[in-house]
Amino acid sequence: MKSSRRLGLVMIAPAAIMIVLFFLLPVILTAVFSMTNMSTATGISGGVYQIAPNSLIILKSAMPDIAAELAEPRYAIDEAGLKAVEGLGLAHGIAAELRAKHAGEVFPTRREAERMIKDLAERPSTRDVKQISEQFNRSAVNTRFDSKEELFSALDTLGLNLTLEQKEAVAEATYTGWTWTTDNFSRIATSPDMARVLLNTALYVALVLTLFNVGYALLLAIWTHYMPPAPASIFRGIWLLPRITPVVIYVMLWKWLAWDTGFISVLMGKFGYPPKNYLLDTAYNAWFFVVLINGFIGASMGMLVFSSAMKAIPKSQFYASEVDGASRWQQIRYIILPQMRWPILFVTCYQTLSLLASFNETLLATNGGPGNATEVWALAAYHTALRNYAGNLEYGLGAAMALVLVVIGVTLSLLYLRVFNYRTLVAKPLIED
Amino acid sequence: MTILPTLKSLTVAAAILASTSALAFAKDVTITVWAGGTGPNDVYRLDAIDIAAQQLERQAALKGEELKIKVEKKAYSGWDDFKQALTLAAEAKTAPNIVASGHEDIAPWSQAGLIVPIEDYVDLDAWPLNGIYENLLQIASYNGAVYGIPQDAESRPMFFWKPHMKAIGYSDADLDALPQNVQDGKYTMKNLLEDAKKMQDKGVVQPGYGFYPRPSNGPDYWQFYTSFGGTMEEGGKLVFDKAAMQRTYQFFADAVKAGVTKKNHIGMPGDQWWKEVATGKAGIWDGGTWHYARLVNQEGLKDFFGNVIFTLIPAGEGGKANTLTHPLVYLLTAGHDKEETDIAAQLITIASEPRINALHAVKSAHLGISEAESEVDFYSADRWTREATERLLPHANAMPNNSDFGKYWNIMWKNLEASWTGAKTVDAAIGDAESELKGTLGDKIVIR
Repeated sequence: MKSSRRLGLVMIAPAAIMIVLFFLLPVILTAVFSMTNMSTATGISGGVYQIAPNSLIILKSAMPDIAAELAEPRYAIDEAGLKAVEGLGLAHGIAAELRAKHAGEVFPTRREAERMIKDLAERPSTRDVKQISEQFNRSAVNTRFDSKEELFSALDTLGLNLTLEQKEAVAEATYTGWTWTTDNFSRIATSPDMARVLLNTALYVALVLTLFNVGYALLLAIWTHYMPPAPASIFRGIWLLPRITPVVIYVMLWKWLAWDTGFISVLMGKFGYPPKNYLLDTAYNAWFFVVLINGFIGASMGMLVFSSAMKAIPKSQFYASEVDGASRWQQIRYIILPQMRWPILFVTCYQTLSLLASFNETLLATNGGPGNATEVWALAAYHTALRNYAGNLEYGLGAAMALVLVVIGVTLSLLYLRVFNYRTLVAKPLIED
Repeated sequence: MTILPTLKSLTVAAAILASTSALAFAKDVTITVWAGGTGPNDVYRLDAIDIAAQQLERQAALKGEELKIKVEKKAYSGWDDFKQALTLAAEAKTAPNIVASGHEDIAPWSQAGLIVPIEDYVDLDAWPLNGIYENLLQIASYNGAVYGIPQDAESRPMFFWKPHMKAIGYSDADLDALPQNVQDGKYTMKNLLEDAKKMQDKGVVQPGYGFYPRPSNGPDYWQFYTSFGGTMEEGGKLVFDKAAMQRTYQFFADAVKAGVTKKNHIGMPGDQWWKEVATGKAGIWDGGTWHYARLVNQEGLKDFFGNVIFTLIPAGEGGKANTLTHPLVYLLTAGHDKEETDIAAQLITIASEPRINALHAVKSAHLGISEAESEVDFYSADRWTREATERLLPHANAMPNNSDFGKYWNIMWKNLEASWTGAKTVDAAIGDAESELKGTLGDKIVIR
């Protein structure tokens, strides 16, 4: 018994590993990222401490003198630097000439120091000039320190005499990496556009789900149920086409239909209407097409599930009902629909979750337009985390938005299970008790 | 019989010696270069590095070194894919050695440590880098360090379709004077909308085609903000000038209200827009200097100068006529061997020489990066590059290099689009932009 249990664990191990790696970990990582201000500028793997003039702007108001001192780049031709130059193994005359002519001089910028070095009798190559100037660098501007300790010791070397508190303030102002924060969630809660996006999402899911993924799918399944087998299969095959067509081509077909150079415009042109972009003309139009585009793809899956479930209904029930004189509507009402509860639960639940997360069709068709009218939550998360004209992708905020989606998905799933009374559906058959 | 094995071993020894000594001098280096926003007219963005590699190999040969440089090139036609790919590759430590991207990327990428300052590797006082326009080098700098070498310059003018302007009463002399009138502030945004309306009322263009701006997000829209008196950055801090932004939003809302710009203009397919502006379907539109290459090479507009006149973006209320330059810069990415980066830097330096850069400028209708380039006959003989350089570049602003500018830009654009399409009133859009900017950037942005 014990060994079989162990064997069971071994057998399930690959599946467990897969679940952890590909299902659990992404959600955990999303949750972790959502609690950070991670972006392109902060990097993903962490940051360094860099006393950059721009990062000191914040410090300027709190500690103006220190900020000014820190921002000051200095190149001093001192003995330590000259010794270091001697150690570089360059032509001997370089260090000697520097000592003789320039000892004690201070240059405000590297470029000026390098100009002096380039004027030496033994003109060093560009690479050597860079090496030499670095030996005289007596400021910490733009130097990247991997740890706080390195930064602090550099501050000490500069002779700034800062208290630990001041050092910590400098460290905080000059840190380039991401930090833990809950700001993403407060941004989501306070941004005037987020509520609108949430509303868009609810509208999108509700419309596509009820009108197409469940409603129309059920209708199609019932229609094909009463058709002779051959045309029924052809009909179902045709309805599968949107699902199996590559999404880019599928959306392009819609664009050919609805854009101002498209079919509708050409057709309406015959009646004297000027061409217009029907797809993006108004928010209503955009919604109309977004729902159709997604609905036609989504309807096929429900149709397949529902029609196979209908096939599983014993034929005898239909025969008996017909003997009793039941109409088609009565068959649907009293035989088909009651036995469709589980498939409808499955399709509703599954499609809600996939609609919540789906955005590629909308991205390709309207890209959230016009005026963000069709911006749904998943698309907004994508735009935030992976698209920014100025190259600063906001991973943290995007992750927080994705996490909101996960929470909504889980909550809705639980709600569905409750509404459809899942426990009775999976109750053990009495016969086995 | 005994001499043969000795001879044999001697030969082998000589061969080994020869191969090792060759190894001591021969060096094979692969330099990868990526460029964003690169279409068929922009091939020299990458090919210039190829040309530079040949030159560097010859230089090395003269010094007795056998340097072989293999240049691996990758062009991205769009920006979104490119920026995603580059940032993710850099995070995964597989970034290319050289990348040509917009200057606005310098701030976030340098803060994240994805790029290194190019001034650590090149002599900015030596030719050709010392000839690069000072303002372009400024744009390629961040935190007081030069991070990139400008690969091109450009500006974003306003274009007018001449026959339509004539149809509403402009004479040839009026049209010739138009650029100067715009520059002097005598022809303003108000006049522009009026002319667009006249064109529609006269029936020379269809409704919605009078003013036909860029149909997607882009740096162009900051020009309108400048035009209405806006400032993007001051003293290292971003600035949101509410009144100027309100006038900017209002301008587009008014254009839609007057019917000269379509409400659903944003998001239209790029190909359609290009075709329409190239065939005179639109009256007035804004675009980049490189549009010239596309209109002439791909869209079949043969007589450009006979049909089109270009000016600065006219002044709006509270602002001045302006244009925006958005140079692409060659950047060096971090995480490579120092010697390899050094070679990459030398390649960038050579590629910036006037003659080589002029190939890109003329082929793609971008503008030159140095005074010397404008003196290259090949460049100055090209009417477009010459006129655009003289007329536009002196008035060009640039977007700030600030790691938070992207966030500001997203919020600005989102609300502009909303007020344009009528999804929000202008007041609501400004209010929303303000509260979101406050929530997002806090005291990193000055709101006034």
